Amino acid sequence: MRLQPFGLVEPESLTEAVDAIARLDGEARLVGGGTALVPMIRLGLVKPDRLVSLQRVPSLKGIRLDGEALELGAMATHADVEHSRIVRAGWPLVAEAVHRVATPAIRTSGTIGGNLAYAESASDPAPALMCHDAEVRVAGPRGSRTVPIARFFRGFYEAALEPGEIVTSVRVPPAPAGARGGYVKYTSRSAEDKPLVGVAALITLDAAGRCTHVRLALGGAAPTPIRAERAEAALQGDTLTDASARAAAELAARDAEPLSDLMGSADYRREMIRVWVRRLLISLRDGGR
Amino acid sequence: MKLAFTLNRRPCEAEAPDHWTVLDLLRDGLSLMGTKYGCGEGVCGTCTVLADGRPIRACLVLAAHARGRALVTVEGLEVDGQADPLQRAFAERGAAQCGFCTPGMMLAAKALLLENPAPTEHEVREALSGNLCRCTGYTKIVEAVLAAAPGAR
Repeated sequence: MRLQPFGLVEPESLTEAVDAIARLDGEARLVGGGTALVPMIRLGLVKPDRLVSLQRVPSLKGIRLDGEALELGAMATHADVEHSRIVRAGWPLVAEAVHRVATPAIRTSGTIGGNLAYAESASDPAPALMCHDAEVRVAGPRGSRTVPIARFFRGFYEAALEPGEIVTSVRVPPAPAGARGGYVKYTSRSAEDKPLVGVAALITLDAAGRCTHVRLALGGAAPTPIRAERAEAALQGDTLTDASARAAAELAARDAEPLSDLMGSADYRREMIRVWVRRLLISLRDGGR
Repeated sequence: MKLAFTLNRRPCEAEAPDHWTVLDLLRDGLSLMGTKYGCGEGVCGTCTVLADGRPIRACLVLAAHARGRALVTVEGLEVDGQADPLQRAFAERGAAQCGFCTPGMMLAAKALLLENPAPTEHEVREALSGNLCRCTGYTKIVEAVLAAAPGAR
């Protein structure tokens, strides 16, 4: 079955891309790797007249250091990110979460910018990037701006992008010295599925075992990826014990606003948040990974 | 639009409408029927081909995005009349039943072996995690990939 016909526009610079999407306002969709958009076109969920491809915009590619921070070009694929020496050495939590996206042949095409712009609640990278207080850089007809990732997800499949805006990169600050991070993805159907719930955490413990820095973020737990802020606040300054991990997991489960879908009911999701937040916190305490 | 790329180690030029995927280009534009159309949504893996040595889903990637890249399909596994070790191992071990998933399985496996010539069973299973076999033949498929691994002997 063919895709419904569309015209393809292939700008060769960011300026050309911004101009193209502004000129075709409302008629065109941006395409990065196509792993989300092409199935939507095939299923008839969207029927764009034109696609504006970002594949030939060189400035959107690449993974580099920007001072102490990591800068992921929006068109860096998940495979580029998970295999990058820079990412693996300095941002292992990001590498771990991106490695869990779908399957190898999806990760070679799907891009980090596309993943965020799609604003899927059950994104694997989003919770890890939230733990790092990442910033999303966007460009549009009115210039460029930076959006903290905590404010980037506005609603169910809705990113904080104004008409004509394009995600250009993600800036990821380094973890605090000595931080330990981890991502757990729980799938209810098959290994390569979207997470029923995904939990990312980045924690620093002092010599007495007290949490001096806590970030805890969830995918699949609400209409958007979320930070579990009450759980973070409860752990901050506290010793990480079985009991405090259980209490934090309970707060995270209560803060969640899960949806029911084919992967599982809202109640089941809430229960799995309770289980996986606790397990991740305890494994970080014990393993120090 | 006109596209120039490398197909099974030979330079190739083809004409494709804007809305074609790599799968449309291979099957309808170039009459290479080895790459199968399964789900059309990137889930089943039977349309897997290599682009610059890495696996892609031909049903998801726009034909335009193949420009300048080196594609390998199941037709290109054989070199100078010699079957690829993966093809021999799949045949010898009965790793194909209906055969519909086989091209995608072999190319996903080829991508793994190019990167990792001595994979563990776990690594093989992870590399094939996006390729579904509905005849439930995974055991023999995994055995065939392990047997074809150049580092395994």
